[in-house]
Amino acid sequence: MSSRRGRITDEEINELISKLQALLPESSRRRAASRSSASKLLKETCGYIKSLHQEVDDLSDRLSELMSTLDDNSPQAEIIRSLLR
Amino acid sequence: MASSSSTIPAAADERDRKRKRAGDETETGGVKGRRQEAPSRWRTRREHEIYSSKLLDALRLVRAGRGPSAAREVRQAADRALAVAARGRSRWSRAVLLLASRSRARAHRVRLSSRAPAPQPQGRRPSMDASTSSSVSRSSSAPALARKAQELGRLVPGCRKLPFPALLSEASDYIAALEMQVRAMAALAQALASVAPSSPSPSPS
Repeated sequence: MSSRRGRITDEEINELISKLQALLPESSRRRAASRSSASKLLKETCGYIKSLHQEVDDLSDRLSELMSTLDDNSPQAEIIRSLLR
Repeated sequence: MASSSSTIPAAADERDRKRKRAGDETETGGVKGRRQEAPSRWRTRREHEIYSSKLLDALRLVRAGRGPSAAREVRQAADRALAVAARGRSRWSRAVLLLASRSRARAHRVRLSSRAPAPQPQGRRPSMDASTSSSVSRSSSAPALARKAQELGRLVPGCRKLPFPALLSEASDYIAALEMQVRAMAALAQALASVAPSSPSPSPS
């Protein structure tokens, strides 16, 4: 930021936090959206990212299992392609 | 982009349509040059389709079924496809691609030098690995907010040293992209599970 280097004012932080809250529909929908405290919001964001990572890991686990059956039958791949379009 | 949506009576699709329309409105009203930078673009059906096809292509290359490393390779392929879908417009996507190419080059070099199967150091989260090596530079000098911001910077790849506002926008984009990744992978898993024939369990060679 051009005004202050090295230390952002609290007001700016609050502004950015509210911007983040607006940009994250999921993040604000989980709670009552009244938790405008910056610290809580950041913590929730971190937790949310971690849970998303975990979900992706679980899904890739499942996908790798399912993929082994896919390799045996190549026509299935085309079916799946058409399913996803 | 006309919001011509197919008539699929799904709640998620309705939400997608609303998001897309909102995105379009801001698009035409706002700056034309900055199209598709809002995190809401990850909610459009088009992005979902693009990512799904990329994911499918990437997964074809992953000869899965080889055991414990398969899930990790799937995860890495999914992350790479996600980063490519971002079209280089966000810092985290560039970092993911950089790390992917670097770790792959490293693994290749290791494999060439010594023919022993080199155990990759937790390739699941390359970003976490790189960030934990460089220890915390400043402790709680600022209030707890700085610590939380640091944690956020560790979670989002390639955003450790970012100033606060940029970190927040990167994080929001990253979260939206992750949500789409989850949706796409879940849909793919569901499709695979329904399509998978009633064949006996595959015998690993």
